[in-house]
Amino acid sequence: MEIMTAMPDVISNPETVKAQDKAWRLIVWNDPVNLMNYVSYVFQSYFGFTRERADQLMLQVHNDGFCVVRSGSREAIESDVHAMHGFGLQATMTQEA
Amino acid sequence: MAKAFKNGARGITGSLASAERKLLRELFSDVITVLEERAQIHELPEDLDPLYALTGMRPESANLPEPSDAAVKRLLPDASDDQEVADEFRRLTEADLITEKISLLRRAQLLLETEKLVLSVSEAQGFARALNDVRLVLAERLNIQSEADSERIAQLVDAAKVTTSEEYLGLVYNLVSWVQDTLMQALMSAER
Repeated sequence: MEIMTAMPDVISNPETVKAQDKAWRLIVWNDPVNLMNYVSYVFQSYFGFTRERADQLMLQVHNDGFCVVRSGSREAIESDVHAMHGFGLQATMTQEA
Repeated sequence: MAKAFKNGARGITGSLASAERKLLRELFSDVITVLEERAQIHELPEDLDPLYALTGMRPESANLPEPSDAAVKRLLPDASDDQEVADEFRRLTEADLITEKISLLRRAQLLLETEKLVLSVSEAQGFARALNDVRLVLAERLNIQSEADSERIAQLVDAAKVTTSEEYLGLVYNLVSWVQDTLMQALMSAER
């Protein structure tokens, strides 16, 4: 019987990854208007984070001025930014260096 | 007087006095007006390739200018520090964002027809978003730029002591914040 082995590593060397393949980050910025419980609720309801995780990220936004909420493809992060703006949160996207 | 929202068997309930509902409806209208004014600059030039006109997509040559009103900028912020990324994002998505916001604000107005509000979770979520947009616009009119500004405004609670129109606006802001805060508490308890 043939023994299954792990698939060979076909993911290209990070050094050869082209700029357009690099992940994008979703950043949510602090502002003096949005209520803390509102921001935490948005994180829970939109991203499906637990209450604890959502509170943790919300406090990071509040204390540090911003927080990288997640990263992914350009399309995914664009759609997150659009959603965050829909909720009235100040959010931007940036490509990983 | 307004009563705090609560989550119960019938849904999320709260009550707002007639004057408070009238005020909120007017505030929602103000935000709709601000967004509709912004939407006017979205009209495409008449000499545009009819194919673009058909899809409603804006060509690269028709980037939208940044909003000149700071309140609109809070409602429709830049999507990136990279100007090229921000311009493209605004060109392709701002019209949809305006439509979504106006639709939620209109629905929020309709929820204010009766003194007693009985909301489903999804109605309450939409109502909270509409209240949030009102607060973003009021905050700009009150020049709330920092936590210190926001604390200063939060001190304004006694209507009898209010003398200026800015202080009155501050009271209004605090009422909307209070309504949103109790709504969020009710929504949080509905999640459990």
